[in-house]
Amino acid sequence: MKKIIFAVAFAFFALTGLQSFAQEPELTPERKHDIDSLALEKVRDLSKYVKIVGSKDTPWSEANRVIDRAEELFAPDAEIGVSSLSKTKIEYYKVRQYLERLMRLNYDRVEIDWYKIQYVSDLQRQPDGTYVGVITVFQTFKGYDAEGRLIYQDTTKKDITVYVKRKETQIGGRLIGFWDVLLGDMRVKETTSK
Amino acid sequence: MKALSRFFGVLLILASAYRIDAQFITGSLGDFQMDETALYTMTKQMSQFMSRFNYEEDQYGTKINPNSPDYHNADKRKTVLPLLFDMDNPRTAGSLRDYFIEDVTGKNVQGLEFLGGQWYAEVSAKFMWKGRPVDISLIMAIQEEGLGSKWVISNVFFSEFQQLFPQGELAEKEKHFLHPMSHELDFMNIYKVFKDPQIIEYYASTKYQPDYLTLFFYEIKKGNLVFDSVDKVKFHIFQIKNWYFEISWFDRAGYNSGWLISNLVYLNETEKEALIKIYQPHSF
Repeated sequence: MKKIIFAVAFAFFALTGLQSFAQEPELTPERKHDIDSLALEKVRDLSKYVKIVGSKDTPWSEANRVIDRAEELFAPDAEIGVSSLSKTKIEYYKVRQYLERLMRLNYDRVEIDWYKIQYVSDLQRQPDGTYVGVITVFQTFKGYDAEGRLIYQDTTKKDITVYVKRKETQIGGRLIGFWDVLLGDMRVKETTSK
Repeated sequence: MKALSRFFGVLLILASAYRIDAQFITGSLGDFQMDETALYTMTKQMSQFMSRFNYEEDQYGTKINPNSPDYHNADKRKTVLPLLFDMDNPRTAGSLRDYFIEDVTGKNVQGLEFLGGQWYAEVSAKFMWKGRPVDISLIMAIQEEGLGSKWVISNVFFSEFQQLFPQGELAEKEKHFLHPMSHELDFMNIYKVFKDPQIIEYYASTKYQPDYLTLFFYEIKKGNLVFDSVDKVKFHIFQIKNWYFEISWFDRAGYNSGWLISNLVYLNETEKEALIKIYQPHSF
């Protein structure tokens, strides 16, 4: 239901914004606020997908389907840079590679939780006019063995790039402008571990 | 004094706990039931540091409407600014910090601007140089271009390059020159320039400054220098009149973590200009 409301809101947002976009692609503070919400919705989707892929109860085929959906949230060349407290050198993964690695972790049970906190940066423009921002979220991970003992636990800070680009599409012969939100590179930094 | 300021800082944070809860439950990302107060107080991004510094965002994480009287409010800034300093460091937790806060919130209110220039990122990175690991600091600056801006490399610090161009003593430098009538002799004396490669730069203009960035690019292009990884990042801020400060990442428990001021120096504008030339030898 929430998804439908969002889709309708997005379509409305795109259509009502058409005229002002056609003349001036600058973002007003109100529109920036709307875009922040859209970007957060994408990050929320990602958090759900990560939970599903990480869960040992998810069948392999279902996990693969969810990875496909997760990939669609990101720009094609997006990378995930991972470091831990013991290994500060960043390891780079493609989105699929990162999620497949999560799927194959050798625990009998996994718990992934997301903190309520999130921080959305201001949007800055890059030279080609695309807006770029960063959303920071926090996740805890717990891995258990067959006896139900907690054998690994960490908290990670995830800084996720958000690209906001103006695009156009034809609806009923009319050219409609809208702001498209895509996730970009994600930096995953371990902050605590046991 | 240190204990007192820490106490007030913590008191402020605890007083805000109720509001934090109320504010973020709606529309938040997860539903993890845990005390997140430390994560709220953490300055999570440089963007957030700037917003907090300017009081465009309050200590609870709420963005302030630019039309609100609270926006950039000097009295409220005074309560938030101490939280942006590393409280464990006497250099950034004492009277110098208080003078700084008085300066930026006083008669001539000063804030930070993303596109305001005079702020730099220092990226400490590992490279392989001629087969051995070396540490190089890349100095990055924001440059406006096209419809927006981008980070560019403005200089590099690599000890091997710096050692190639030692300061040298003036008396020694003055011994090495080509006399002003050398041209009449078809520069037959020019061999002296190349006699001792270690001091070849003595024969350049007195204003000559080695360009380390060009040396760096040359070594990369020649394949002598190969990038390995980034170690850490910190920021150098020169935007505030008569002050320089450094911002580092503090990954630690408690209510004083994230991007915080790790060094603070009172610096007159002439000294500052000289220092900025090191970070950014060529203006954009």
